[in-house]
Amino acid sequence: MTSGPLFHEQTARQRIAALADTGSFAELLPPPERLTSPYLVQLGIPVSFDDGLVIGRAKIGGKKVYLAAQVGQFVGGAVGEIHGAKLTGLFKAAARDRVPCVLIIESGGVRLHEGSAGEIAIAETMRAIFECRAKKVPTIAVIATDIGAYGGMGILSTCCDFRVMTEHGRLGISGPIVIEKWMGKKAYDSSNRALVWKTSGGKTKYLLGDADALVHDGADAVRDAVAKLLGKSSPVSLKGVKERQKELEKRLKRFGDTADPDAVWKGMGVRNIEAASLASGPEFAALAKRGK
Amino acid sequence: MEKFAKAFPSKPLPSKTAKPWALAGVVGSGNLEVLLERGGRPSGTMECHVETSIPGYKASWLAALADFAHHYPAGGTKVTINDQGAPPVLVNLRLRQAYDHLTKGDK
Repeated sequence: MTSGPLFHEQTARQRIAALADTGSFAELLPPPERLTSPYLVQLGIPVSFDDGLVIGRAKIGGKKVYLAAQVGQFVGGAVGEIHGAKLTGLFKAAARDRVPCVLIIESGGVRLHEGSAGEIAIAETMRAIFECRAKKVPTIAVIATDIGAYGGMGILSTCCDFRVMTEHGRLGISGPIVIEKWMGKKAYDSSNRALVWKTSGGKTKYLLGDADALVHDGADAVRDAVAKLLGKSSPVSLKGVKERQKELEKRLKRFGDTADPDAVWKGMGVRNIEAASLASGPEFAALAKRGK
Repeated sequence: MEKFAKAFPSKPLPSKTAKPWALAGVVGSGNLEVLLERGGRPSGTMECHVETSIPGYKASWLAALADFAHHYPAGGTKVTINDQGAPPVLVNLRLRQAYDHLTKGDK
């Protein structure tokens, strides 16, 4: 399909370089500033110079954006105090300057070592995202790796105007292992990758309307999808929120008791489960009748 | 955690580099990140700061860093390392990556 490197195999900094117009990325609070976690040191855990989040200004297709990428390999991309403050500041700056904000998510949620600070940061970032949306400043989340967007970051991603996913991406609140721990292996086997991806993977999320684009696992495809969404916004209204709530209630009623993810796919209009399972992201998007 | 610093003799860095700083690697299990910065330091030494989650290997660290300073003209640079248990061969690789990024730019 594409000759470039796979997006999910790239590092956070490579992803940023691949999405931004050549040479346009200017990092804010770069590693030489050494803004590291004050908590991890006390616990004897090594810190990282960017605290697992790369943020900055860039251009995509000539358009100004604020661009950020989480580093999933550093404590699971989890949000601590510094990481969270950078995240909040980025969206606040986007709202202030009326410049779209693109966030490449790769995170299990709040960093438990600095839980309260992380939780507060997530809440503050959500507030900043809604400030963007009130001003019609587009906010876009990219979820393209198996670390995915979970916990607070899963919630945060759904606060953005749009979500761009690949079939590798996963989106949820509780991660598969957490669900298994609480509900038992019979209810949810976290080692069953097909089950995990069919419940929280990009294809299912696109089918259910939680993701707005499902693209190939390459920087070009992700960039094209992001560029298309940069001019759009989806403002929050009471009417819209109520409609969404009704949709979710309907979904719960329809699929709440279903143990078989294939039944959800079928219910959402997928005729040939096997062909859809094997299809690439964009093929799947073309195949599947988009659920409402 | 173990923390130490030492400067090693090294030939001066080329007068022109692609950027003022470079980062290589990531702080993940069995991995490390190397931040290499230039400017404002004596041109005959490579200044190193290491913070590692695995104590007790200072001698190996110093040997790996001394070896790099000997083979690469890195005088006038500051090396700062956050380590989460990287093997020596990876330390060397990351140093070389950071050096390449600094002198030639990210590729």
